[in-house]
Amino acid sequence: MEQKIKITKFQKKIARETVFQLLNCKEDSPTYQQMKEEFEELLEPVKEKLAPEAVIGFGKVPEELVCDKLKLGEDVIYVLATVGKEVSRFSSEFFDEGDFLKGMLIDAMADACLFAMDDEIEDELKRVCAQRHIGIVSRLEAPEDIPMAAQKAAFDQLEGEKNLGISISPSYMYDPVKTSCQVMRVSEDATVFKAQHNCRKCKAKGCTMRNIQPITITVQNKDKTFQIVSKEYETILDAMNKQGAYFSAVCGGKGNCGKCKVRLLSGELEITPADKKHFTQEELDKGYRLACRAYPTDDITISMTTQDESGFSIQVGHGTQEEEDSRITESGYDIAIDIGTTTLAFQLVGKTSKKPVASFATLNRQRAFGADVISRIQASCDGKKAELQKSIQEDLMTGIRALIQEKEIEPSQIDRIAIGGNTTMGHLLMGFSCEGLGVYPFTPVDIGLIERPFQEVLGNTYLDATVILLPGISTYVGGDIVSGLYDCDFGTNEKTALLVDLGTNGEMAIGNCQRIITTSTAAGPAFEGGNISWGMGSVQGAICNVKIEDGKANVTTIGDKPPVGLCGTGVIETMAELIDHEYVDETGRLEDEYFEEGFELAKTAEGKKITFTQQDVREIQLAKSAVRAGIEVLLRRFGVTYDQVDAVYLAGGFGYHINQEKSMVIGLIPHEFDGKIKAVGNSSLGGALRYLTEENAKEEIHRILERSAEIDLSQDADFNDLYMEHMFFE
Amino acid sequence: MSPKIQEVADLVAKGKAKLVGPAVQAALDEGCDPTEILNGGMIDAMAVVGEKFKNNEIFVPEMLVAARAMKKGVEVLKPHLSAGSTGAMGKLIIATVAGDLHDIGKNLVAMMIESAGFEVIDLGVDVPIEKIIECYKANPDTKIICLSALLTTTMPSMRDTVAALNESDFRSNIKIMVGGAPITQEFADEIGADGYSEDAASAATLAKNLVK
Repeated sequence: MEQKIKITKFQKKIARETVFQLLNCKEDSPTYQQMKEEFEELLEPVKEKLAPEAVIGFGKVPEELVCDKLKLGEDVIYVLATVGKEVSRFSSEFFDEGDFLKGMLIDAMADACLFAMDDEIEDELKRVCAQRHIGIVSRLEAPEDIPMAAQKAAFDQLEGEKNLGISISPSYMYDPVKTSCQVMRVSEDATVFKAQHNCRKCKAKGCTMRNIQPITITVQNKDKTFQIVSKEYETILDAMNKQGAYFSAVCGGKGNCGKCKVRLLSGELEITPADKKHFTQEELDKGYRLACRAYPTDDITISMTTQDESGFSIQVGHGTQEEEDSRITESGYDIAIDIGTTTLAFQLVGKTSKKPVASFATLNRQRAFGADVISRIQASCDGKKAELQKSIQEDLMTGIRALIQEKEIEPSQIDRIAIGGNTTMGHLLMGFSCEGLGVYPFTPVDIGLIERPFQEVLGNTYLDATVILLPGISTYVGGDIVSGLYDCDFGTNEKTALLVDLGTNGEMAIGNCQRIITTSTAAGPAFEGGNISWGMGSVQGAICNVKIEDGKANVTTIGDKPPVGLCGTGVIETMAELIDHEYVDETGRLEDEYFEEGFELAKTAEGKKITFTQQDVREIQLAKSAVRAGIEVLLRRFGVTYDQVDAVYLAGGFGYHINQEKSMVIGLIPHEFDGKIKAVGNSSLGGALRYLTEENAKEEIHRILERSAEIDLSQDADFNDLYMEHMFFE
Repeated sequence: MSPKIQEVADLVAKGKAKLVGPAVQAALDEGCDPTEILNGGMIDAMAVVGEKFKNNEIFVPEMLVAARAMKKGVEVLKPHLSAGSTGAMGKLIIATVAGDLHDIGKNLVAMMIESAGFEVIDLGVDVPIEKIIECYKANPDTKIICLSALLTTTMPSMRDTVAALNESDFRSNIKIMVGGAPITQEFADEIGADGYSEDAASAATLAKNLVK
């Protein structure tokens, strides 16, 4: 070894915060005060026992240390630091007496001192590096980065026994245990200095001291390139979402849906089991990975291959024309908003004209946490509550700002904001705990009518407005449905009507001004393209019309772009065509010819086959029979026959585009309703709009709530039979 | 349960070391059975504390103060207990395996197991196989041997220790528990231990189950 430097001038720093962090002693704990007293009492005696010393030295990598991180003969700096034997003896004394509290505290204090020595060692390293005009490219520690044998190599090279009075066991453990060892890789580039401790690769994720050095992820998205800094041990998906780089993850980051694929351009990403499931060897070799499973450990460059969602069609209006009469001078404005699980829709409403004067729609970026409410609830319960709240707050601000800019009005002119949304969306916006939403008996925190100042809900003072969240009936029948019921005149209409929302939660209601029965059924995301092999949202290039002739499919896509997948309407059309041409039998089995590979609909620009598989048929069967059985149960419980139902309202963006005839072909809706079906579009937004423009809105909403009863299909005696019955194609 | 014993249990759970002694005395004065004070007031209370720790409701400090409070209570109670009732669950030998010098995890485990009503013999760190066997021979009523290893480099030492115990003629009389940061259930099964637990509180539960 060329040169060894011994450092003895250490400050014996014992930061209480560090010690308490190590022990997981939190300020709100009832034991905090007691721990604090014990700490103060021990501080001086412990300092007396501490003997911090360190040695650093230059050397070359010996044979026994060669690994993927270290090359034979490479220049490195070894570092050995210890706080001495006395303090360990001191803590053992207390343990032997049975005073575990003091023993543990002293042990943690010794750790804190050892960690704090890092700063002073770093100063010395900087000094010697400057002298030699070299830099440090990485800090390696055993056993996380390099084998435990490194402890022995460092001990030998630095003559640990002679210089620090420490010894080493045959299993490469130091005595005293409060000794640390690092191997620093040096480089001729004097501008780098990465000598800080990095926990990124350590498996002890629960460690209270976890401290991860940031890495940079460079993202190429078409012609745009941007960088995000990841400060934690996290997936690419999490890192991007946290920093607002939107990424759709239908399955919520579980590695199931494969929609978050990225391609690694430089750097390293381990191949995970989920990658192996989704990609061929060739694709893996090309660098394809799932962003939701990939934990980068160093700087990387990736390219995004996600679908273009710019053309996502979102239902804003609900049939009524959006016309502006320029002769009217508005005295002020309100904003109506529908927070959907997938999309957000906004309308600016004139206070004088009582009409929408501008509208805006965007995707709910919470989709990064999963496509359906269940995955959002899970994410919220997994400690992402604040992130989810921030996400929706930001999305709402985007829409609000867009409306204000479009009409060139002043923020001060906005008076009220009315929001319709399902119970989960409301909880996530308000920052309520979702713990009760996901488990029986599905108890919400608050589903009453909420009226709060803007700042309280959106977290800023851009507007001085009141935010109104429309009330819900239960965890599963939320404010969006109540808003829809209001929009479809369920509070005043004497004739009986049926409202069906064809979204994931399949909310539905039957009733008139006397009484209303509501329920929800597990329709799943199939009608929105979820859980379907080639399913996707209504984006450019999604197949939306399908005709089968002579065993061949003719398709049209949104925007007439090359086919990329299948949107909800395309799913229904495909299903109906397959039934019409008897490519599936009444039990839902595809003809033998298509059973294995599925029915080919089209080819993508790259020549991949877009198919509709047996599994997709099964998904549709489950979804449609859930909805149909729900409708049947509602009719029975309400005590009416098909002909006694005056109108059937189909709500939701999907309901608006659905080919009614085909929905009857697949048995989603009874043939008997032919001629009574009205697509009402976004009735949640419609209800919010009417809430803002009608005088007795509050009372009427209240009346709807008062008369509504909910039935639980899982407890309903008939539901299961009906569910099985309607699984078939008639 | 008598309200006086409940009081002791509450104070132990909250870690009120100074108040536990007088509360135990009050319970004794009222004529409560000393064994019931120990079991209902302290051991059960510590089991609840351990459960909360496992569920992340509380952390190490809360567990430490509770154990300390129990210790204070036991000091007052001890003269009133019949011999052997403090370690009624049986004897347990605990050690960090040869070559490994870490004792913090092992110490916490010892604390929680003792709080569960075991008599714990702690052999310390870097304990060679012979020493464990010797200790067992001196304490043939030992029911469990509990081994700790903190680094992957000392896992082989744990394997050797368990292998030696498995070959001993007293193997059928004891249960072997293992734990430590790199240890997993799979490793425990592979080396032929009877049980594995991932934290101190679970270790106490496991020990209780093993002697059932």
